[in-house]
Amino acid sequence: MSVSNLLENWSQFRHTHPVDDKPHDPYKWAMSIDLDACVGCNACSVACYAENNLPVVGKEKYAHGMAMHWMRIEHYWDEKLGEEGGSEFPDQGAQFLPMMCQQCEAAPCETVCPVGATNHTADGLNSQIYNRCVGSRYCQANCPFKVRYFNWYDYPTTDNVWPAEMNQQLNPDVTVRGKGVMEKCTFCVQRLNAAKVTAKSEGRIVHEGEVQTACQQACPTSAISFGNLIDPESRVHKQWRAQQVELDKDKQSKDEKEGGTNLRGYRILEDMRPYPSVMYLERVRESAI
Amino acid sequence: MIDSGFDRRDFLKVMGWGGAAVALSGCGNTSIEDGQETIVSYVEAPDYVIPSIAVYYNSTCAQCDAGCSINGRVREGRVLKLEGNPASAINRGKMCGLGQAGVQHHYNPDRLREPLLRTGNSGETITWEKAYALIAEKLTGVSGEEIAFLSGGVSGHLKALLGNYLDSFGCKNHFVYEALAPAVVRAANKKAYGVEMPRYNINKAKVVLSFGADFLGAWISPVHFSQQYAQFRRGVDGQRGVLIQVESKMTLTGANADRWIPIRPGTEGILALGIINALGTATGDIAAAVKGYDTARVSKETGVPPGQIDKIAAMLKLRSPSLVLAGGAAEGYAHGSQNAAAINLLNQVLGNVGKTVEAAAAVPFPQMAPATGNTAALKSLNDGLAAGKYKVLFSYATNPVFTAPGAIKFRDNMAKAGFKVAFAHYLDETALQADLVLPLDSALEDWGTQVPEYMADGAQINIQQPLMEKLHANTRGMGDILLALIKQRRADDYKKFADYYAYLRTAVLQNKGAFGGGSADDDTFWDETLSKGIIKLAGTKAALSGKAGVAGLKLPAPAEEDGQYPLQLIPSVNISLRDGRNSNQPWLQESPDPLTTIVWDSWMEIHPKKAAELGIVEGDIVEVTSRTGSIKTQAYLFPGIHPDAISIPLGQGHEALGRYAKGCGVNPFQILDAVFDKETGELAMHETRVKVSKTGQRVTVVKDEGPAGAKQIREKIAGQVSTDKVDLSKEV
Amino acid sequence: MHRFLRLPILLMGLFFAVSSYAADTPLPEPMTEDSLGPVVEQPIEFPHNRHAGDADKGGMQINCMYCHTYARRSAVAGIPPLQKCIGCHQNIESVRETPRIKKLFEYWDAKKPVPWKKVHDLPDFVRFNHERHIKRFIEQQNRPYQEACGYCHGNVKEMTVARRSKALSMGWCASCHQKDHPVTAEGGTPIGGQAYWYGFQKPVVADASAGALKAKGPNDCWQCHK
Repeated sequence: MSVSNLLENWSQFRHTHPVDDKPHDPYKWAMSIDLDACVGCNACSVACYAENNLPVVGKEKYAHGMAMHWMRIEHYWDEKLGEEGGSEFPDQGAQFLPMMCQQCEAAPCETVCPVGATNHTADGLNSQIYNRCVGSRYCQANCPFKVRYFNWYDYPTTDNVWPAEMNQQLNPDVTVRGKGVMEKCTFCVQRLNAAKVTAKSEGRIVHEGEVQTACQQACPTSAISFGNLIDPESRVHKQWRAQQVELDKDKQSKDEKEGGTNLRGYRILEDMRPYPSVMYLERVRESAI
Repeated sequence: MIDSGFDRRDFLKVMGWGGAAVALSGCGNTSIEDGQETIVSYVEAPDYVIPSIAVYYNSTCAQCDAGCSINGRVREGRVLKLEGNPASAINRGKMCGLGQAGVQHHYNPDRLREPLLRTGNSGETITWEKAYALIAEKLTGVSGEEIAFLSGGVSGHLKALLGNYLDSFGCKNHFVYEALAPAVVRAANKKAYGVEMPRYNINKAKVVLSFGADFLGAWISPVHFSQQYAQFRRGVDGQRGVLIQVESKMTLTGANADRWIPIRPGTEGILALGIINALGTATGDIAAAVKGYDTARVSKETGVPPGQIDKIAAMLKLRSPSLVLAGGAAEGYAHGSQNAAAINLLNQVLGNVGKTVEAAAAVPFPQMAPATGNTAALKSLNDGLAAGKYKVLFSYATNPVFTAPGAIKFRDNMAKAGFKVAFAHYLDETALQADLVLPLDSALEDWGTQVPEYMADGAQINIQQPLMEKLHANTRGMGDILLALIKQRRADDYKKFADYYAYLRTAVLQNKGAFGGGSADDDTFWDETLSKGIIKLAGTKAALSGKAGVAGLKLPAPAEEDGQYPLQLIPSVNISLRDGRNSNQPWLQESPDPLTTIVWDSWMEIHPKKAAELGIVEGDIVEVTSRTGSIKTQAYLFPGIHPDAISIPLGQGHEALGRYAKGCGVNPFQILDAVFDKETGELAMHETRVKVSKTGQRVTVVKDEGPAGAKQIREKIAGQVSTDKVDLSKEV
Repeated sequence: MHRFLRLPILLMGLFFAVSSYAADTPLPEPMTEDSLGPVVEQPIEFPHNRHAGDADKGGMQINCMYCHTYARRSAVAGIPPLQKCIGCHQNIESVRETPRIKKLFEYWDAKKPVPWKKVHDLPDFVRFNHERHIKRFIEQQNRPYQEACGYCHGNVKEMTVARRSKALSMGWCASCHQKDHPVTAEGGTPIGGQAYWYGFQKPVVADASAGALKAKGPNDCWQCHK
């Protein structure tokens, strides 16, 4: 491996991912979120707390940025709000963005873990192994989306975040994390595993609609689509195809009609080339009012 | 340390040997924990229980009164998570965050476990037998007029049983109180459409013009409306729906509008009439009534630019059918009924009645139909309490000491009642004032039926069944309590029911035919009903009257400037906190307010322009003073509010209720003035005027959005595109 | 450093090492391959050999899954509910008054479950799924149940109470997953149909001419450590 070779073929090396030589088969879990349907109600966020044993950190720790919301709703105002050329009121409302681990194909977090606690699984997820994590937090520093959350405190025991009888609500399928461990959205891997066990025992793959993530299941407007990107029958596959967004491209070449009619699918921070598995559909606002 | 000669190399060698040896001793041993833990099997395992495989039960959510159906995931006898029941037409398998927190209500560490009797300033535990005996004793020799029963909204068999109980001593004083009730809208609907709660078909409308109706947030049936909204956005006849929200303070629904219009508080009715005028299609007495409301005048009075009014009228004309909604923002005034009437009139004029405003099906059992709450009931009760009228006061599913407007001094008046009984889950503010507190089963442990006020397709009765065994041995279901109480008075009629479950089962089976049971045998029908979680009925549909009425429609001129109290207080209804009944559920406190992202506290929203005038920056602790009282909270600069108004969320400021709610924020209910809607007597929530002054203190606002606020840094993260630049027909 | 001190420090280190090694060992038995786990005392000394043992040794040859019934349909194999024991024993007069059975009925009469101590207790961060392994080895590969269960649980039919006799460490589990499992027989016929395929890693062509494919078990961290 010479330096010149490295420099010449940098973009290929940069792009090549451990999984590349073994393309995802038969599953590649992906998501698509319609920002026009998302109303910012936070149901997905609370559902995630319920499903994944997320600790409630309280006001003081929240102030220090230690909130543990794997799925968070970001809100944005229009850029020109309150500025020159803009309005003093948010005339077109706010913009809500559900943000969680994008399960990047070329995840910046995977390469920097000193102990290999975060890896890419065969079905396209970015795994976080709690018992291996030693808490260096390098992965959190590297994540461009800032969707990794660190257990700064011992929430289950010392902080007693689940006093009796709240501890009976904990989901036994999900590890309760101790101090010093990194955690993040897993696309509800416990549900995926359970669905795969059922499917394997029946000798088939998991069908579309058979498994839902907690956030997808709760969302009242069905803004979240989740499924197997490889399965041509899945809604997620059809949406990515319709929006002409491809998983392993860092710059989508969309075949857009003349006259400026856009497709509204995009991925966030795509130019940083982490190849996220989540596609967002731009929110639409009526131009005639 | 030891001197010379022992350098780092030596140290490492020694430590290395020692360390390696120690490490080696770890080899071959695993983390296997044989013999450390106990594994306890069942004594007798039910057939369907397979360890590590969940079973699911259907029931009804009780976190708000929308009546969504839930599907509880139960493992090894513990309910873990709630999902929506796909069979319900109301929520169709979906759940809101408030509903998810239902498990935190059930497992809440602050739940009451034993009946409590007041002795001086503390409470001692007593037995249920003693409690029932005490109630019987206190009711002896008391006439029906001297007894009052205050409850929240009730429906289903519990309502019937409660009615029979009150009947048994000739008591007609059942006050049904909800702090946040669309009561003015109900009354206006009754006049305009002939029914209190029609169906609003958001998914059939091309344009929704909402005057402060937060249907995506906390208005009537948000999960149902959210689903309709999703269909509305995907388009009717290929055309994406347009949402226009008119209100003085941005709600969650307003945040999703295509056009959000800040309006001068109280002038919503004027705008409605102005739009009718601009439409130019009205005739007869309607045309006469709106003649004076030309665009220029309306614009001046409401603050809405004339061009905007014309645009709205043009769009409503072009895209039909539309739907106009009157929400809290419209009705929270002394002329709220007038505002609501003007807004309903707009529906009439646009021809929406019968299309997007339709009759809802009703359950054909009036004794089960929901008794809906309002604030006029509380005022009535308060007047009676003040006059010393009541010797016995019962309180169930309500917390008036917290939610009553400070001006009516409910707590003081409640003390005048002779004997006060509270049926409660927590020691909330009202229970603390009671003489006898009886602990209730949680919603996930109890039996019942519920009839929602807002009906989706067809009529349905929701079944509530326990999702697991009782958590605390000594709580009781409200139905069981009522049954025990009614047996004190009508033993013969009710002794055949061992418990409320038996009563419910008998009552449901009696109407098996009407409930679609047909020829099924009793057990099968009952099991199927429980399994489905709802009973679907064709129901009866009242016709909509469709009579456009301008009679009595007289909108007042916009309120004068009040020099002493220059700002209007808009108490906001937050999606999770609402009237504060769920504030002790930590997920909800930690769930950021969608518009400000603030957690675990209260805040005062103020427009940046007004804040600059007053020299207020984010985090300043300000004192908000009304004629009734004052509260202090942190300021938050919020562009989505009219500069003449400020907003503080309801639901915080508990002094009791539990560890997660106590001491969080402030309670704006306390400083609300006693102003009421002239027609219905409902509390006019937005009529309190305040002044704001700095205290000199400043804190860091604890919020999710970070110090940069809601700017999109460096590049557009949340993308937005306008309709003329996107082709939605290509979508999946 | 003084040469005098170097040796004592080294010896101290060795002493600590040996004593910590020794402390981890259940004395006096030395660790051998056959008796890896500690002896775990149970509230009732349940004789697996009597129930599951071979007939010529006085056993009744009861299938493991008659009692540990959840193994084929759940992640956990399960300890049988007391009802299962009583189901047979209420009809066996001949042993009704023996000390262990008397104790059993004491629990039953008091309706209290027996507080068994868990043997084969994997740490909480490992999630093992019995169903998949039963399906693979017993149902698809048609191995005898005692061989399949015994691979991990040892020769239970010759024990009274269970005692761990395999390492059950991650390396030990992974070593089996690393083994090549035949996916197709000679001539290319898939074994066990399509059901057999799923869950394995992509097969490597072991013997192209014979058409036999072999594949390894899952090595995805998140399969077991989710």
